Amino acid sequence: MTTETTQSPSVEEIYARTVLDIGIPPRPTILDILARELRSGEPDFGRIAQCVSEDVSLSAGLIKTANSPFFGFRVRARTVSHALTMLGINIAGKAIAGVALRNAFPASPALERFWDASARIAEYSGHLVGLLGVREGIRSDDAYTFGLFRDCGMPVLMRKFPAYRDTLLRANANPDKRFTAIEDEDFPTNHAIVGCMLAQSWSLPEEICLAIRHHHDFLLMQSGAISLPPASRRLVALAQLAEYIHQQHSGMNQTEEWAKLGMASLSTLELGQVQLDELAAQVVAHSAQADIE
Amino acid sequence: MDTAGIDPLTGFLDRHGCLRNAARLTEHAHRDQKPLSAIWVNLDRFRKINGSLGMGGGDAVIAKMGDRLRSRNEHRAHIARMGSDEFLLLAPAHGCEEAASLASELLQLIAQPMEVGAMSLYPTCSVGVASLEYAEEAESLLQRAEHAMHEAKRQGGGRVVQSGDEQLPGRLGIKLAREELEVEHKLHAALQIGGLYLHYQPIVSFNGRIEAIEALMRCELNGEMVPPVKFIPVAEKTGLVIRLGEWSLMQGAMQAKRLSDLGLPTKVAVNVSRAQLTAPKFSQALYAALLCSDVEPRLIELEITESLFMDVSELVQSNMRAAIAMGVSLSIDDFGTGYSCLATLKDIPAGKLKLDRAFVVPLPEDRRVYAVVKAISQLGRELGMTVVAEGVENEQQSCALQDAGVDAIQGYLHARPMSADAVTGWLDHQAALLKA
Repeated sequence: MTTETTQSPSVEEIYARTVLDIGIPPRPTILDILARELRSGEPDFGRIAQCVSEDVSLSAGLIKTANSPFFGFRVRARTVSHALTMLGINIAGKAIAGVALRNAFPASPALERFWDASARIAEYSGHLVGLLGVREGIRSDDAYTFGLFRDCGMPVLMRKFPAYRDTLLRANANPDKRFTAIEDEDFPTNHAIVGCMLAQSWSLPEEICLAIRHHHDFLLMQSGAISLPPASRRLVALAQLAEYIHQQHSGMNQTEEWAKLGMASLSTLELGQVQLDELAAQVVAHSAQADIE
Repeated sequence: MDTAGIDPLTGFLDRHGCLRNAARLTEHAHRDQKPLSAIWVNLDRFRKINGSLGMGGGDAVIAKMGDRLRSRNEHRAHIARMGSDEFLLLAPAHGCEEAASLASELLQLIAQPMEVGAMSLYPTCSVGVASLEYAEEAESLLQRAEHAMHEAKRQGGGRVVQSGDEQLPGRLGIKLAREELEVEHKLHAALQIGGLYLHYQPIVSFNGRIEAIEALMRCELNGEMVPPVKFIPVAEKTGLVIRLGEWSLMQGAMQAKRLSDLGLPTKVAVNVSRAQLTAPKFSQALYAALLCSDVEPRLIELEITESLFMDVSELVQSNMRAAIAMGVSLSIDDFGTGYSCLATLKDIPAGKLKLDRAFVVPLPEDRRVYAVVKAISQLGRELGMTVVAEGVENEQQSCALQDAGVDAIQGYLHARPMSADAVTGWLDHQAALLKA
């Protein structure tokens, strides 16, 4: 295994090493099958259900997603087929990708915290859509999926570059620069670009890929430039607000991102400071209720 | 306060607010049988301003433009901000002549020097004017004004063009613009729902070795193919080409990885556009594609047109250096179609030179073309490059090329572009033939 220190090698040296020294999660076969079925225009639910059922954790994850409160179904899914029918193939596809993402990385204590935070932000994002309504075509499941995948480039880079954690700490603490600009100083790529590519290779919708790509780009968020489509802009804003609520509620305040992206996110969501506190209370309460259930 | 429909930066109506207002004004104009004109104003070189002053500076320029338009609005025009650097004035009771004169005034007003931070700017704008026709709807009026503005921009900016005075006047021009919009819409939709895919065409050397497979983008929506000649120019115009390029890189890298895993390691050649290579994030996207696909970099080749190798901009050069440092190889695409500079050919860090099909079509009859191909092949070989000829369709051409010293050929003679599955089968078959 490569060992690296914070006195990082030059970018040229890093390039010179082969990138082929860690296993990056390949796209799960089930996503290939889903993509093929979706393209066919007449998806075969039976075949998809059979493929999902072959993987116990995928099946459990899909059923859990179908039963999660923000979909608001009265009946509870008991089987994979039932969950697929309730969610529809599009939403089920995203739910499966979300479960597969976590499964794709070997479990480690440091990553557990990362996934837990991602899952909480994803959940809050989904709740926020429930409270704010569907706009720009962004539904709860889109916001939820984006929350899960937003930072998926980080575990990839953590495995590739042991020194990446130190860079993350510095990026988290920097109040002025774009988060990814700090990564760019030390490494040949950053988690937003890697995340976008990974999401693309896993066939996630384009607005989610673009939102992952630009989720630290506060100038782009502030400017209203059309290079970031409204749906992607909304996803970034929802997850940023969810992260802020999570950090406020959990007492964790590890990032400076709200200072950079908060105003633009509120403006995208057409929210004021007063509504923010009320909304935060509702989201946390909603989530606590869901945890009990 | 309800601020829906208002642009927060200038306080004017935004696009949505304007469209509602335009419908109302049009209805009144028809009812009262009064004229109504639309004046579309677009700031020239705004991207450059944004690039040099940053987004905040760009916003300051737009806010000042807004103040200027507001300050001289004794004509009581309804002003709206239609996009990042675009304004629309709807002037009730203004016919063609009054509107043209108002547009000229605006042109001068905007051309006054502007102080932004410590810099003085000399802004210019392009203006399009259209006056309401009998029974015309608001949407059509606005489209004609915008189309006229684009014509003003096409003519170099800093001028007014009346609807109807364009090179492709009025509705015909709009029809073409609309077709482009439709293609753009299709591209977005295809990217969204998986209507984009890559086909692969093999490049085969005369000794039977598969040099590479070239990835070619295809777009299909609702069973209808959108040909590359239609969608590539639109993608280039709209900036979508960068995203499509990244998409191709990732898909190409994944295909190379798949083939390698199947025991058919084959280089995948991906086309890289000027827009990609002049974008600062290119090398990061390439690295991320290699990382996420887990492919060996030596299995990826970037096809870059000759003119880009000659580009002296630091960004292009550093992007190419980074690609080579990652272990990816480069090839010169469409060689011989631009301004070939033999003096700089020796400095180009490419391992492959691809002769454009224009050199292949006249073969074997045209001996002068044959002589050029022979000379280039010799030069390429001396410089350590593999020389490939594109668009080879028949045996006669193939023989002439081999005779001229070309190393490998690509074209219908060997194989058409194929789907990912089909090319995998084809490569498998070739491997079996070689073993036999």
